[in-house]
Amino acid sequence: MSAARLVRVLGVLTAGALAAAAVALFVGSAGLAPGRVVGVLLGQGSDAEALVILGLRLPRIGAALLAGGALAVAGAGFQALTRNPLADPSILGVSGGAALAVVLAQLLGFGSSLVAVLGVATFAFGGALGAALLVYAIAARDGQLPLQTLLLAGVIVGLFFSAAITVVISVVELDRLAGVIHWMLGNLTALSGDALGVFLLLLGAGVWLIVGRARQLNVLALGEEPALQLGVEAERVKRRVFVGASLLTALVVAFAGPIGFVGLIVPHAVRLVLGADNRLLLPASLVAGATFLLVADTIARNIIAPAEMPVGVITAVCGAPFFVYLLRSRA
Amino acid sequence: MVVRLVGAVILLVAEAAQAFTVRDMRAQEVVLAGRPERIVSLVPSVTEDLFAVGGEDRLVGVTDFCDWPPAARDKPRVGGMVGPNLETIVALRPDLVIATDEGNSQSTFDQLARLGVPVYVVRARRLEQAIEVLDRMGELTGRTAAVAPLVERLRARVRRVVEAVRSHGRRRVLYVLWADPIIVPGRDGLVTELVTLAGGISVTAGASGAYPRLGLEAVVALNPDVIVLARHGGDQTPVLRATWERLAALPAIRAGRVHAVDGSILHRYGPRVVDGLEALARIIHPEARF
Repeated sequence: MSAARLVRVLGVLTAGALAAAAVALFVGSAGLAPGRVVGVLLGQGSDAEALVILGLRLPRIGAALLAGGALAVAGAGFQALTRNPLADPSILGVSGGAALAVVLAQLLGFGSSLVAVLGVATFAFGGALGAALLVYAIAARDGQLPLQTLLLAGVIVGLFFSAAITVVISVVELDRLAGVIHWMLGNLTALSGDALGVFLLLLGAGVWLIVGRARQLNVLALGEEPALQLGVEAERVKRRVFVGASLLTALVVAFAGPIGFVGLIVPHAVRLVLGADNRLLLPASLVAGATFLLVADTIARNIIAPAEMPVGVITAVCGAPFFVYLLRSRA
Repeated sequence: MVVRLVGAVILLVAEAAQAFTVRDMRAQEVVLAGRPERIVSLVPSVTEDLFAVGGEDRLVGVTDFCDWPPAARDKPRVGGMVGPNLETIVALRPDLVIATDEGNSQSTFDQLARLGVPVYVVRARRLEQAIEVLDRMGELTGRTAAVAPLVERLRARVRRVVEAVRSHGRRRVLYVLWADPIIVPGRDGLVTELVTLAGGISVTAGASGAYPRLGLEAVVALNPDVIVLARHGGDQTPVLRATWERLAALPAIRAGRVHAVDGSILHRYGPRVVDGLEALARIIHPEARF
């Protein structure tokens, strides 16, 4: 793979992301005329208009881009790690673990300060790691992860965590967890500047952990023995990618809720077009995932305006049939 | 004398033996063996009404949400409004279950019907219907004498509020029933009428249905003068603050016209709904006196 190709691909994808962001900035239930949007961007809008564009749409576009990118890289990472093309944070139950941890963190009442944002993210990370380890422990047979066993283990662990969340909601006074059921569907909101900053920073760390081992992941795809012969320490690479993918999943759950299927759809689509080379696949998935979730969220914001649909519903409607297609085409 | 006494006894016996037939607010006939002695209420508003008319002795079961008056908490509980515990209800041997068409589920009614438990359904979308429910609870429990002055006092208080706010301009009010997702009163919501009576215009009055959802962006576009956030039971302020801090540029928020109210006096149609109306009027028109 040449550097020129990487630059070219990322250039095209980034242009797509920017175009999607531009469209997203102009459409919304407030029904502002395009001229007014441009006015706000030039600093000439009324307070309410400025609030809609700069205070709500822009931060939400940011949140969608970050969450989409994180999910796609996490999905691609889990796929490389398990050498299983159907792996995805939601299917593996990792999102579920993070979600339970976030619900528990909210019970502790962190509030909305910066410390709180970090606290919730830390909890989510713990939950994601725990769930991923659990799935791994259930599915591993002599160091191998058979496809069916892994998927079933993920589904079971995911179901268990969602049941555990229901238990928590039932036991605790409903008022204290007001939005949980809505949140569980996967919901993007306009994040505060602080939260976006933390999200971006930790996202960078997670992406670095995975993308920084793209070459080794390519070798790992040949199998662990050949990898060892080629000087790749499989266990260390896997641990690192495992931590990175769990971190990215946890971030999305902490900041947006458990949004499903992005990590499945996007790396697959990218792989179809660009091939399986992780050095290209991972960065391309980052940008394509960001764009995909932004488009899905823009639909979610407008499809039943003036109300909003949780974006997780849109991704699931696209993702579930896609999963079936992948399952059938492999059989 | 003897003849008259015998006559009275015959009348009494005849009345006791006669079936007690009432029509509920769905206009369905509810046939009971006599005046209900053991009532289970599946509606917090109805529970409040039964206490207000002095019919609480006949109340043998309430929902987990029936928290007013405080004595209601001492009544046996039958679970939530949706999917109450049927076994618990039956064990209480009720001769009547009172439910609502808004908040209880049809499947509960069907199951109760199969178990042979009569169900009386109330329906209140407007203040006048809320008062009618109170009146009906008085009738059902034989407390007609107590309920008439009660209803008259409530009507007088409503009139005073309406009079007091009449001379003041109407303010544009955003009422938020639930913060995440944002749920507001629509065209058919009781709160929409209360806002109007309290001298405001609900900015979401045009939305169809009783309690539609709304995106945050749509809320901002409505640009209200006053924002009223409903509290539910436990202290929800941190959740609310996080959501509304971001909207600091909204005129209502900059002017400090964001208020919290106890949702249970505005979303229920019990006797305290007039307290709710007065609270709303004080928020919308702090200058008005009533």
